[in-house]
Order: sequence, then C-alpha cells, then structure tokens
Amino acid sequence: MDSSPILEIRDLDGMAGNICLFRKLHLTLDPGEKCTLSGASGSGKSTLLKMIMGFLPVPADTIFITGEELTAKSCWRLRKCVACVSQEPEIGKGKVCDILAAPFQYRSNRSLSFELKEAQQLFECFLLPADTLQKDMEVLSGGEKQRVALTAALLLKRKLLLLDEVAAALDARSKEAVRAYLASLKNTAILSVSHDVGDFLLSSRLEWMEDLQKGGGNARD
Amino acid sequence: MPVTDIDVVRLAAGYGLLLIPLGIFLWHRVPLIGTTLVSIVRMTVQLLFIGFYLQILFDLNNIWLNIMWLAVMIAVADASILRGCDLNFRIFAIPVFVALLLGILLPVFIFLSVILYPAPALDARFLVPIFGMVLGNSLRAVIVGLQHFYDALRRREKEYFFFLSAGAGRQEALMPFLKETLQVSMAPTLANMATMGLVALPGMMTGVMIGGISPAAAIKYQIAIMIAILSGTSLAATLAVYFSLRKSLTPWGSLNRSVFTRLNQ
Repeated sequence: MDSSPILEIRDLDGMAGNICLFRKLHLTLDPGEKCTLSGASGSGKSTLLKMIMGFLPVPADTIFITGEELTAKSCWRLRKCVACVSQEPEIGKGKVCDILAAPFQYRSNRSLSFELKEAQQLFECFLLPADTLQKDMEVLSGGEKQRVALTAALLLKRKLLLLDEVAAALDARSKEAVRAYLASLKNTAILSVSHDVGDFLLSSRLEWMEDLQKGGGNARD
Repeated sequence: MPVTDIDVVRLAAGYGLLLIPLGIFLWHRVPLIGTTLVSIVRMTVQLLFIGFYLQILFDLNNIWLNIMWLAVMIAVADASILRGCDLNFRIFAIPVFVALLLGILLPVFIFLSVILYPAPALDARFLVPIFGMVLGNSLRAVIVGLQHFYDALRRREKEYFFFLSAGAGRQEALMPFLKETLQVSMAPTLANMATMGLVALPGMMTGVMIGGISPAAAIKYQIAIMIAILSGTSLAATLAVYFSLRKSLTPWGSLNRSVFTRLNQ
C-alpha cells in the first residue's frame, strides 16, 4: 500500500442529538502510528470513535480511511480495515471460544481463518487463564471481558485499532501486559481513548480533543 | 344438522353467571368492576356486530367484499400489535400490514385449497373464519417478536456494533438477534401445541363438534388449523421483523432512534 494515512479526519463536527460536542475536528493517523486521545468527559471521544466506525452518521468529506471517504455505502467495506473495542465491551453470548470464532464465519472475513493457538497466545500475553476459552461469557469479570474483547479485535488483524478506555477495568499487572503488547504491534495503527497517564507513555502521540479542533482550546505539550 | 340455537332469553339468563366474578371483585375490593363491565359490554356489542355483519358477508358471498373484510381485520390487528409494543406507527404500520397479509394468507390459502378441498376456498364462510383464527392466534407472536427484537437491539447495541465492527454484513450482525427473537416469539405457540387436547379442548374442535361432527372428524379440522396457525405465526413474525428493517435501520446499519414511541434511551 502507499503511504497515505490510515485515518484522516477533516472538519468533523460531533453532535449528540442537538448538542454540539466538538467542532471542526482534525486528526491524521499514519499506518502503524499509536495515538492516545484524551480530553474532558463529555468532549465527544467515544462519539468520535463511533463516527469512525460509521455507527453514527458521518457528514460527507470528513472521515477518510485508507484514503477512501467514509459514507453509508463504503462503511460496510471500510469496517474491514478497522477493529474496535468499546468501553465495557459486550461481544456476544455463549462460550468464549465460540464468540472469538464467530466473526471468521462472516463472508467478508473468508480470507481469514480462526487459529485457536493465536487466541491462546494472546490470552497468555494478557494474563488470562487458558481455561477462559471454555468459559461462558456471562461468568467473566469486567476486566476479563475487556481482554477477551481485545483478543477478538486483534485476531481480525485490522490495520487500525480503535480502543475506548481499554485498560480501565484492568488490574495493574494486566494493564502493563496489555500496554506492552499493544505498543509492540508494528503494523497496527492505534487510536486509543484514555484518561490514564500510563496509556500516554506507551503511545507515540498524545492528543487532546480540545486541541484537535480548529480555533478551539489551548495548545498543550 | 342438529345444531341447537341458543334461545335469547336463556342467553340473557346466562349473563347471571357474571355475578360470580363481580361478586368476587366486590368482596375483595378489587378495582376491576368498571373494567369488567366495560369489557362485558364491548364483547357483547362487538360480537353482535360481527354476527350481524358476517351474516351479510355469508349471504352476499362477494369475493371483493370478503377481501375488503380481510383487509379491515389486518388493519385492526396491525394497530393493536403496534399499540402492544410501543413502536412508531409511522415506521411500522405498512411493513407489519404486509407481513400479516402475506404471512397469514399463504397458510390459509393452502388450508382452504388443499386440505379442505373440495370446499369452495374463497367462500366467505370458510375464508373469513379460518383467516380470523390464524390471524388472531399469530398476534401475540408478532407483538412479542417485534418487541423483543427491537428491545434487544437497543439494549445490546454494543454487541451489535461489535458484530458490525468485526466485519459482519447487516444480515450477519442481526442473525443472533433474529434467532433469539424467533425462539421467544414461537415458544407460546409451540407450548400450546404440545399440550393440545390435554389441557383444554381447542376452540375449532369444540365448534365443529357442537355443529354435529364426530370427534374423529373434528380432530382433523383441529390438526389442520394448528398447522396453519404455526406456519402463519412463524411467517408473520419473521416477515414483520424483516419488512420493518428497511426503515428501522439507517443506511449505516445502526438503529433508527425514532423506532420507539417513548424515547427512553
């Protein structure tokens, strides 16, 4: 692929109903780049992630993924470049390994295949007990669910990973494990929403919602 | 046929039985007296009207009049379904109407033209009651189905979004919800079928037996109507969800918030 940015956002306004969360937001993310996005609560960070996934309607000419404009039509294709782990994720009902395997049945993922070994390795990296694979999703704790959801996202090997407070529910040790693993991913660009200083340290860039908006907010270093 | 018509005076005396529920409510001070009286009056007036109207329908036996009457039945069913599940009338009225029309008409048509053969299938006295029975029995499944599906999609939006973000197409992402919806909406019909004849003697069978038909023949009617009800119910409930998707989901795949009448997001 060429060196066009994996994600480019131009002049994007974020609305929640009739309330404006952010205005004229700009952000560019290069392939493999790790960026942590912070900002006040209610500044529209999660809304921004939802817009990048096309879960909220996106105005024309504002979001580009791998150089292609995100529209109601292209979003179905462009979602295949992106994986997303939401805050307090819910990724389905049933046995963990079945849930992890389910996306590989989708038509768009036919080129991929589910490798149980890979899931086991990721679990080990994230300090999840190996028998978690056989457990029912319902019995997992919040922190375990979070790491299973992260595993599900990573197994799909997308070029862009969107993370919403992904380390928030984790204990200190698993936090470190998750951060170290994410930082080591060479070919995956990450946009991670977080309030946690620990997450800032491992990413190459730190952005504040307020600074990404034209004419709004004060510059920070 | 030796069918005994009920004498009007004796039926009026039958209303005396209503002293039992009214007495019980009065004794326990259950605030149901008004509701009960209104229900009794409504039942009586509606049935009087239907009895009178069906008589005309049967006498005229005009195919267009029959079709119009079916349309009225569907429209009333449509409205009562949407009232039953707090869904936006403007989005759902037409899809649910079409779903009921196709979903009920298909099994009823098979019932009349194949099973009841050589009875004249489009005769009012076959078409209207059979259609009404299948329609009436499918209502609850359609209500439960629509309600469950859209509630689940709203409450478990994260799960749905996860499927989409994992590369699922619309149909693929909705599949777990559709599967669950059918399980929930079909359960009562299936349970009812499984206890058929043991717990309660079904209405159709009772009806034809009072009409003078032997139990051996009556069960054949009952089996046929149960098959028609089960297929009509599953078809109508499934089509109602599918037909409503076009307007209830945005082109991006997310749930249109105006689907619900009460915005308790």
